[in-house]
Amino acid sequence: MPRLIALRIAMSLLSLFLAASFAFSLVHLSPTDPAILALGDGASEAQRLKLTQELGLDRPILVQLATWFMRVLGGDLGQSIFAHKPVTSMIGDAIPVTLSLLIAASVIAVILGITIGIYAGLRSGSWVDRLVTSGVSASLAIPSFWLALLLAYFFAVKLRILPVAGYTTYAESPSRWVIGLLLPSFALSVHGAAVIARHMRGAVIDVLDSAFINAARARGTPMRVVISRYVFKNALVSVMPIIGIEVAVLLAISTVIEKVFVLPGLGTLMVNAVITSDFPLLQGTILVTATILITVNLMIDIVMGLLDSRIRPQ
Amino acid sequence: MTLAAEETESVISPAGRQLRQGNKAPRPARRWMTLIRREPLAAACLAGIALLVLIALLAPALAPYDPNNNDVLNRLKGPSATFWLGTDELGRDLFSRLLYGARTAVETSFQSVGMALLIGVPLGLLIGYLGGWWDRVAMRVTDIAQSIPSLIFAFAVIAILGRGVNQTAIAVGIVFSIIMLRIARGLMLRERELLYVDAARVGGLSTPRILFREILPNVAGPLIVEAALLLGSAIMLITMLSFLGLGLEASTPDWGSMLDEARKYQVLHPFMALPPGLAIMAAVLLFNFTGDSLRDALMGRRRVAHRKLRQDRRARNAPKAKAPVQDADTVLTVQGLRVSYLSESGKPMEVLSDISLDLHRGETVGLVGESGSGKSTTGMAMVGLLPDTASSSGHVWLGDTDMLTAPAAEAAKRRGPEIAMVFQDPIGSLSPVHTVGQQLIEPMQHHLGLGKEEATRRVIELLEMVGIPNAAQRINDYPHQFSGGMAQRAMIAMALSCRPKMLVADEPTSALDVTVQAQVLKLLGRLSTEFDMAVLLVTHDLGVVSEACDRVVVMYAGEIVEVGKVADVLAKPRHPYTYALLKATPRNEAPAGRLPTIPGTVPPPWDFPRGCRFAPRCAFVKEACTIAPVALVDGVRCVRAGELSLEVGA
Ligand code: SF4
Repeated sequence: MPRLIALRIAMSLLSLFLAASFAFSLVHLSPTDPAILALGDGASEAQRLKLTQELGLDRPILVQLATWFMRVLGGDLGQSIFAHKPVTSMIGDAIPVTLSLLIAASVIAVILGITIGIYAGLRSGSWVDRLVTSGVSASLAIPSFWLALLLAYFFAVKLRILPVAGYTTYAESPSRWVIGLLLPSFALSVHGAAVIARHMRGAVIDVLDSAFINAARARGTPMRVVISRYVFKNALVSVMPIIGIEVAVLLAISTVIEKVFVLPGLGTLMVNAVITSDFPLLQGTILVTATILITVNLMIDIVMGLLDSRIRPQ
Repeated sequence: MTLAAEETESVISPAGRQLRQGNKAPRPARRWMTLIRREPLAAACLAGIALLVLIALLAPALAPYDPNNNDVLNRLKGPSATFWLGTDELGRDLFSRLLYGARTAVETSFQSVGMALLIGVPLGLLIGYLGGWWDRVAMRVTDIAQSIPSLIFAFAVIAILGRGVNQTAIAVGIVFSIIMLRIARGLMLRERELLYVDAARVGGLSTPRILFREILPNVAGPLIVEAALLLGSAIMLITMLSFLGLGLEASTPDWGSMLDEARKYQVLHPFMALPPGLAIMAAVLLFNFTGDSLRDALMGRRRVAHRKLRQDRRARNAPKAKAPVQDADTVLTVQGLRVSYLSESGKPMEVLSDISLDLHRGETVGLVGESGSGKSTTGMAMVGLLPDTASSSGHVWLGDTDMLTAPAAEAAKRRGPEIAMVFQDPIGSLSPVHTVGQQLIEPMQHHLGLGKEEATRRVIELLEMVGIPNAAQRINDYPHQFSGGMAQRAMIAMALSCRPKMLVADEPTSALDVTVQAQVLKLLGRLSTEFDMAVLLVTHDLGVVSEACDRVVVMYAGEIVEVGKVADVLAKPRHPYTYALLKATPRNEAPAGRLPTIPGTVPPPWDFPRGCRFAPRCAFVKEACTIAPVALVDGVRCVRAGELSLEVGA
């Protein structure tokens, strides 16, 4: 197990390096001179040259990459061009919002998806199963932001039991923090729950057909134990990678959910960065997004290693 | 068909073969009719897509108003006769905007998927075809791109290219190209191994020609499925982008930006959110269904057995029958067992017909037959584990419990202390993510009520008895750390852990190599005496029977065709099938493990002959054999049993 963890951490660091290089390269892929981007169209040639020098944009690309890496490692992601604030502090404010939303939605998605998937898989072919299968197809076609709008309208405008929008930090009021996250995280979780339920159902059906389930029944193990012990764990192992992929998808969808509920999270920052061509901010948010996802996958890999001895290096 | 002919066939690609046979291709109209009849869902989906495209093309003609026509006097109106779906904050007609939105959606999604097909597919095919370093480098690069979610990758592209209809389509197109590249490469890797590709290469065709003329037609199916699914994702991604204000210019009517406007007037005019949301959902559903139904049409629908957990149909329907009087030695009695399944066409097909059999303490009975004879089903029926899809009649009496009709929980209680089973694949019989020990102690926990420690101690003893070294450590191993032979010993130890009166061993040695086979057989023999059990040894190998059994039951096509003492049957078979089996078994060799070969195959259950089921393959067939079903008389099911004298010696 320690070897598996060490190996996976090394691989994660490599992915992180590659993701960072991707973020870095964004500025240089843009046809517009980053100095112009920073100054706006009205800038004079002298201003442009000055900034080019300040930002080191005239040096060889590899040198720029190296300096950029050193800066990032030192915790400096540069200045936002439009907000005139350090990117690190902007991201620092946004991360708790996005992370609480993402974690809440992922937990709901995993619990709902696995429960529904098992329930339907154990009754494959029945009307409950058909209902679940169609429900999953429908949920995957519902645009999450539309669902969020409908939920917001129903619970906040019609019933007035939940806030329409906005974010309260945990420090300000823990209860309002939770209440404010209820609708957004549920709206976000639906896609994940549907995907996880679909795969869990398939996994349960496959596992039920496998020889070891037959063998467990043949040794007189009661069906309830067969299901809770063997079907559950084996199906879970095969669905774990899907959960990793789905968390990434939810993180992407969280950008639209943040917009509907006016949450000041990473997605909002990222969208603003694209709209205003604020490259330092865009680089920073992409790097942080990649870090979150790489960490999630690392955790999933470690859980997989705990669950399934076959993937541990011998 | 001879082997040589088969080989020449496979040199021609599957698609090429279709073309060659296509000289009697039906006219297009007829082809569509066939499609609609065979795949109504796929046909409906294609019709739906045609409709969507038509709406998109005809939007200017269909729309009652200019989608960008402001009418401040009529802003935020609900649906009415003049404005079918009402108006937005600038007084623009929502119905017209919805139709034009379809135009935008179709245009952008087809553009981006088209781009993916044009860029991703050729690149993917080429990379898969070249393999080696090309492949490795390309996969690394796409790995990075794929580690970032599509939407966020599209953000980055839009940041570089700027906003606009084309830019959005290109951004999504780049994301999809990477996805398509990986899919095409995967398909190519599989295709590359096939003979027709080698043939084309040896034939000196140029690489582009091989890629696009030979291989592409064969992978087109899965690619089209993927493209349909991507069209759905494209609509989702593009509407998300424009909802975020990153997609299209404000003047382009589009479902995503319509929803963004609806968001702003959520309280004042909530109806605005409904039409565009429903439109997106319908379009995405349409493409997803198209993809799924095309995939089903291409690869065949996966049939999922109907499972019921709670209700026990068997228990409800079975009339109460009384157990026969068994003498003290009889452990299990099978009476008139019949098992059938529903065929694809819905007709029941009988896989076991009228099986009757007694098993006694201390005896080992061999149950032999080719695959398809029903011998394994017989074994499963004995432990009461026929699949849920089977229906059965007759009885399997274990003491006074009928394993065929007993409630599931009741039957489960008998499995372990009274009847146990070992299977062909011992490693596959163990859950791969649980330790071997955890699974081995289970019967003793459930049936003998032992605690974990006591059960573990006993398992270790049993494992030592069956010859597993280091048993105390090995129980903490996982199944994949066991060799086949060791795993089978462990399974036998477990089967015996509750001292059953009977053991069903379904091909217990056929997955093992020859030396291990002999050891396991010996172990089984030793234990059956030691535990005074009845053993039913299901096997296809007469060598195993002669080695290990006292009696033998020969099965063919769901029937018992001959029963007798092993010494008698093997020396002087009375049924032509037994005789043919014996002749095909290499003699004077230790358990051979080779499938005996008799010309022909066992007929499938829907094709059993009316008379003697062996007649089509029998060397002694006469007209009398094919008239009516043959009865089992005096341990043999053959019309000519009396007159034939089948000596194996010669
Ligand atoms: S009944 Fe006739 S066909 Fe059947 S086994 Fe006997 S001889 Fe052969």
